[in-house]
Amino acid sequence: MNRIQTVFGILTLLSLSAAALAQDPQAIIREVQARAKSASQRYEGTLTVIEGTNKVTEKRWSFERIGSHGDSKSLLRFSAPAEVKGVALLVVNHPDRSSDQWMWTPAIGRERRIALQSRSQRFFGTDFSFEDLEERDIEQFDHRLLGEEQLEGADCWKIESKPRQGKVSQYTHSHVWVRKDNYVVVQIENFKKTELIRRAKYSNIQRVQNIWTAHNIEMFDAGRKSRTILVFEKLQYNLPMKDENFTIQAMRREP
Amino acid sequence: MPVLFLLMLLQALTQRGFLETQGVLYPQAAVNDSGHVIGEVQLRYEGFYKPWSNFQIAGALDLRSDTHHQTERVLRLDWDDRGRQRPLLSLQRLSAQYRHGGLTVEAGKQLVRWGRTDIVNPTDRFAPRDFLTVVDNEFLGIHAVRATYERGSNTIDVIWSPRLTPSRIPLLNQRWFIPPEGAPAFELTRDVPAGSQSGVRWSHVGFVEFAAAAYSGFDNLPSFEVTPGNPVVREAYPELRMFGGDVGVPLQLVSIKGEAAYFQSPDHRADSYVMYVIQLERQAGEWFFVGGYGGESITERGTQNADFNPIRGLTRTILARAGYTIDTNRSIAFETAVRENFDGLWAKTEYSQAFGQHWRLTAGFTLIRGKATDFLGQYNRNSHGVIVVRYSF
Repeated sequence: MNRIQTVFGILTLLSLSAAALAQDPQAIIREVQARAKSASQRYEGTLTVIEGTNKVTEKRWSFERIGSHGDSKSLLRFSAPAEVKGVALLVVNHPDRSSDQWMWTPAIGRERRIALQSRSQRFFGTDFSFEDLEERDIEQFDHRLLGEEQLEGADCWKIESKPRQGKVSQYTHSHVWVRKDNYVVVQIENFKKTELIRRAKYSNIQRVQNIWTAHNIEMFDAGRKSRTILVFEKLQYNLPMKDENFTIQAMRREP
Repeated sequence: MPVLFLLMLLQALTQRGFLETQGVLYPQAAVNDSGHVIGEVQLRYEGFYKPWSNFQIAGALDLRSDTHHQTERVLRLDWDDRGRQRPLLSLQRLSAQYRHGGLTVEAGKQLVRWGRTDIVNPTDRFAPRDFLTVVDNEFLGIHAVRATYERGSNTIDVIWSPRLTPSRIPLLNQRWFIPPEGAPAFELTRDVPAGSQSGVRWSHVGFVEFAAAAYSGFDNLPSFEVTPGNPVVREAYPELRMFGGDVGVPLQLVSIKGEAAYFQSPDHRADSYVMYVIQLERQAGEWFFVGGYGGESITERGTQNADFNPIRGLTRTILARAGYTIDTNRSIAFETAVRENFDGLWAKTEYSQAFGQHWRLTAGFTLIRGKATDFLGQYNRNSHGVIVVRYSF
């Protein structure tokens, strides 16, 4: 009897904890972050930009990241189209403030710092802005649970994220949809006051090295009515990488 | 086995390049040049071979020609890029790069750029240019050994170049050379110094980015020595020492960039002077604005008769640049330089459009106005339209 009581007690405690976790948006996002954590990441991305006029252009980049979330660095380098081959972006994410970003353009042999006021600019004709290429860290946002919704047939929490002081953002707030079954973010809507600026939809979610990962991101620019679909290929986590490959000098090293 | 070796070789090789044709139309005739239309074609191939993660060989080859004898007509592989005309076939880059930890060493022909500001860079001492078209110039590679050590947010860059690569100045029989009024015909001889040049730059990355640089070598732009009665004008490259720095401060509304340098020469013929640039940058939607001022203060005047210095020629000038991205494939750009006394004006507008994955068309017009006594104004008959078609691969 005592044993049954103990098991019942543990189950009650677990379900209460789960309920408490479910109601705490900060804890949900923390869990999202914990489950997505990896020491490094590498992929090759194909970007299909579909303008409002239905004109389609394609770009490709390779991406490498070391570290995770607020303590990470990433380097992406274009491989297509031919005229931007070698153009690179270095992003250094910080836990307590906005990232630092530099862009390298081989044709002029100079790197250029991307100023904070330029982060809302489209990144090389895609619908991603420079800010969208940062990694979000939980500590830079306040979170509020807005409710629960079904999205693409999956039960989700809908959470509002507002940037804290010190985090400079073009967005006043974002709505984030997190799947309940695997804690994967499936949609983010970014707003400036009440106006929708961009919507990112995450799909084709597959488990890679025990991390549930969206292999497609569709970014919609509400102002321009254009969208960019980023498809991840050859995605790998936890590869051995060196910090020295994520510096301005490394960015300048071609190709 | 050879197939496997070839596959390994190809895996370590990356390449890119372009084929570009350009047409330039000058509506006005020039005193020394009756040509109104110039056609140019350029093929550039760049290859990077990286057999190991810390070693890379980079090369770039240019094949070019034009209708106006700006390019040599002799087919030979040029490694120096020191001729008066552009070479027909030239190695723009051939360098080996080795990396160990934070240290990168690159040796060979390479492009070296210093400085932070756009339009004018006083500290950019290792970057000679091709000034055959003065207002639309391109950078030349130099022979050098460059060691860069990066630790945390600090980088030390040390460069040694065994000899000077002079900037390519306008050809005497072409419109970008403005003959002095009433001057008799003359011949130009060149005296390129044999000595080496070296420099060091320390840069720091943080909220405020800054750098300090020092250079010892020669000016890559010539001064001219005229002897009365002698039809030979000597082109000299005086010794030069430069101490300078640059700074970038990203603020909420604008980014401020500044660059300044003090130039001094043991050669009494050369001026000693301070050159500085201050500029503001702002991004607003798809617009990009840069506005600034380039200034100069001569601390000691040299005894030279004349010089050709487009960098100093762009000082005492208000500089501005704006760009607008229409969509993924189309953009427009405006650039202008106006002398503070309004004696000279240069204004350039350009429209560019990409077609598919490989093609880009650029069309533009450059307006030049001003007095013949002003550096910019002297080219007042050289306003021109340009159309460029580029195939990138």
